Amino acid sequence: MNTRFLKFLYIFSALLIIQSCKKSGCTDPNALNYDIDAQKDDNGCLYEDYDKLSLLTNLADNYIIPSLDAYKSKIITLNIHVDSFIENPNISNLTLLRTNWEEALLNWQDIGFLDFGPSEYILLRKQTNTFPIDTTELNNFITLADWNLDYASSYDSKGLQALDYLLFKPGHLESELITYFQNNTNAKNYLKAVAEDLNQNINYVTNQWVTYREDFINDFEVTQSNFSTNSQGSSISNIINALCLHYEFYVRRGKVGLPLGVFNGFSQLELPELVECYYSGKSTQNLVRSINSLRKYVTGSSYLNNDNGLGLDDYMDFVNAEQSTQQLSTVIDNQFLTILDEVNNINGPLSEEIINNKSQITQTYQELQQLVPYIKVDMTSALGVLITYQDNDGD
Amino acid sequence: MTGINKWITHLTKNQVSIYPLVVFRIVFGILMFFSTLRFILKGWVHDLYEVPTYFFTYYGFDWVSPLPNPFMYVLFLLLLITCIFIIFGLFYRANTVLFFIIFTYIELIDKTNYLNHYYFISLISLLLILIPANSYFSLDVYFGICKRKKTIQAWQINIIKLQIGLVYFFAGISKLNYHWLLEAQPLINWLKHQSDFPVIGKLFLYDFTAYLFSWVSAIFDIFIFFLLIDKRSRWISYFVAFVFHIMTAIMFPIGVFPYVMIASTLIFFNDNFHKKIIYFISKYGLLNSSKSIEEKNNYQTKTNSVLKFFLIGFFTLQLFLPLRFMLYPGKLFWTEQGYRFSWRVMLIEKAGYSQFYIHEPKMDRKMLIQNRDYLTPQQEKMMSTQPDMILQYAHFLSKTFKDSCLVESNGEIIKMGRNPKITADITVSLFNKGSRKFIDSEKNLSEIKRGFGNKEWILDYED
Repeated sequence: MNTRFLKFLYIFSALLIIQSCKKSGCTDPNALNYDIDAQKDDNGCLYEDYDKLSLLTNLADNYIIPSLDAYKSKIITLNIHVDSFIENPNISNLTLLRTNWEEALLNWQDIGFLDFGPSEYILLRKQTNTFPIDTTELNNFITLADWNLDYASSYDSKGLQALDYLLFKPGHLESELITYFQNNTNAKNYLKAVAEDLNQNINYVTNQWVTYREDFINDFEVTQSNFSTNSQGSSISNIINALCLHYEFYVRRGKVGLPLGVFNGFSQLELPELVECYYSGKSTQNLVRSINSLRKYVTGSSYLNNDNGLGLDDYMDFVNAEQSTQQLSTVIDNQFLTILDEVNNINGPLSEEIINNKSQITQTYQELQQLVPYIKVDMTSALGVLITYQDNDGD
Repeated sequence: MTGINKWITHLTKNQVSIYPLVVFRIVFGILMFFSTLRFILKGWVHDLYEVPTYFFTYYGFDWVSPLPNPFMYVLFLLLLITCIFIIFGLFYRANTVLFFIIFTYIELIDKTNYLNHYYFISLISLLLILIPANSYFSLDVYFGICKRKKTIQAWQINIIKLQIGLVYFFAGISKLNYHWLLEAQPLINWLKHQSDFPVIGKLFLYDFTAYLFSWVSAIFDIFIFFLLIDKRSRWISYFVAFVFHIMTAIMFPIGVFPYVMIASTLIFFNDNFHKKIIYFISKYGLLNSSKSIEEKNNYQTKTNSVLKFFLIGFFTLQLFLPLRFMLYPGKLFWTEQGYRFSWRVMLIEKAGYSQFYIHEPKMDRKMLIQNRDYLTPQQEKMMSTQPDMILQYAHFLSKTFKDSCLVESNGEIIKMGRNPKITADITVSLFNKGSRKFIDSEKNLSEIKRGFGNKEWILDYED
């Protein structure tokens, strides 16, 4: 049955109902056949078929692929600037390199939560942005000129955070840093290796997406096995699991909770050295960016021009998901806004603010925490997604 | 009175054909073989019994624990072997006993994995021990291990039928609640994600469909047993059951349960139907059991009185368990007190999120527990919505930290004392109506005793 026929059917039957009995009808304003005169609901509300294909197509074409491409182009530019810095280590090249690294990292925040499919396969997040950096290991690599960045054990010595360390080495003035690179071929080579490794990884992901896109929007794995859409392995389940995991563990916990000391035993002693971008002090802007991009992604907005399209918020509305008599999508969006308000009150690097302005960071953390049940409990159960990384039967 | 007595005799002592029981034995064995095989091949032996470090045991069964690697696999292989023996009816009694013990033991290890159909299989295998499903068309008869019988006493089939009937009946009764009937919950939520179901998927977009499904399935569950025992409605009701179970199998990830029910309900068909099945199988020479001596129909076979009392006790318990929830105050779906072992299938949509804290003795400092350090994602998910598991986990945490010294990152040493205080912040969403606080977050859970008493620390559900 196609929708047109159904629409015909509902108009036809609606006419009949209106003629026969004026008071009964569909009382839900969100329904296609909402009857403004109806006073009593007849359980005959007809809703637009939630078009998962359009949702997934919108997410893939207007957010995921453009954001991956944008990050990739930043990484390419970063590589160019690494090359010119190595060739000619001077102040202006260093400044350019730092700026480009900063931009690449901000772009990374837009794609960090897309860790499913090709990204998950190569552990893109772990390879790209693991922190804190193991500086001892990193320095050993350079001193001994012996490293293999493909080893999982090297993940905490490479990636964008290794550049944070190398380009903002503690105790080095800019001039000293330039001397360091001038006199240290190993360090130059390592810098290059890290930048190339970043390039190689994102290249793999974008290349895979050329073919993965079809599987993603057509929910390939699910149509292969059964009809239980949104079950494990389905695209909706993948994006939501990746989103929740990233938010809970890598944003709330990694970016704020751990350095704040929330997870640090009884003393809850601050651990400022655990922040992202510890050496450059760019942690706050990256936190802001990651919250903004998460919000953009949930609302299905276009990556490039912010045009609102079909997103998870529309899907939540479609199933009438509520949280304390409000629409769940509104509650979630408001929580994002509350978090942004808090984050915007942070005026310096997190590593310093955690000590000097602890109450503000604690407040921020509490708002970040508040979002966890909204997305992990309310959103997932409204969308019929199981948050479990294990396969099992239910009953 | 004589009428009732006659009727009871008819249902228990009457001699009836053994065919349905024989087919039941074979079908049950085959199904169990494949579902066990599926379980092993999906890697669940490893995921559910080797990966977890903590197991949520049942109250009173805390002594049950999984065997060390690789013996869990050995156990599952043994289970497969017993299935084959049951199919062919060789050393039947020993193998049904073994099957029952192994299967039940595995299910008792961790209530995270509780499923109504596992419970059903445990019960059925217990009943199978008591009845001579191997007295015809079996290797036991072929080798002369037991005597061949063409008829058995009626109770030997009727206990299986009764057990199946109880499952359906209570599954139906449990659907007679406000959410299921008047809100079409949880189907109204689930069906909306199913609009690409073949042929009728588009109909799932109507709320009406969810109501229709809810009401039809409640009526189906309540009456199917009565329709199946009446020969006039048997074929049509079996057909309805078949369609019903196949649909649930396609729509929901409920594993082999629908197939177990489809196969089990075959037992309601008459002797001729089963005779044909047996002849069909023997035509291919799989089992030929004509040579052995036939036991004379002994109408006066004495039923062991121990057995009689056991069965009366068994079915009384079966009647009590699904209704025990009435002894608890509060909303059943929220507190889940008396929820398990009651044939409540696909009744609730519930999700939760929990944060546990361990407190420093005599101070107001507390430490957040990382559930991931102790539980698998599946265990964490199940624990977060089920109060008895919340309590167990809290006790486990208290025990883990008992008498230990923790060294803080600033070098401070904290002594945990004899019975560390545990509290938990838990939010739960029921039927997608928004997450809300689940338990009293001030309550020291380590001080609360486990048991069947009312858990007054669960917060009231406010509509």
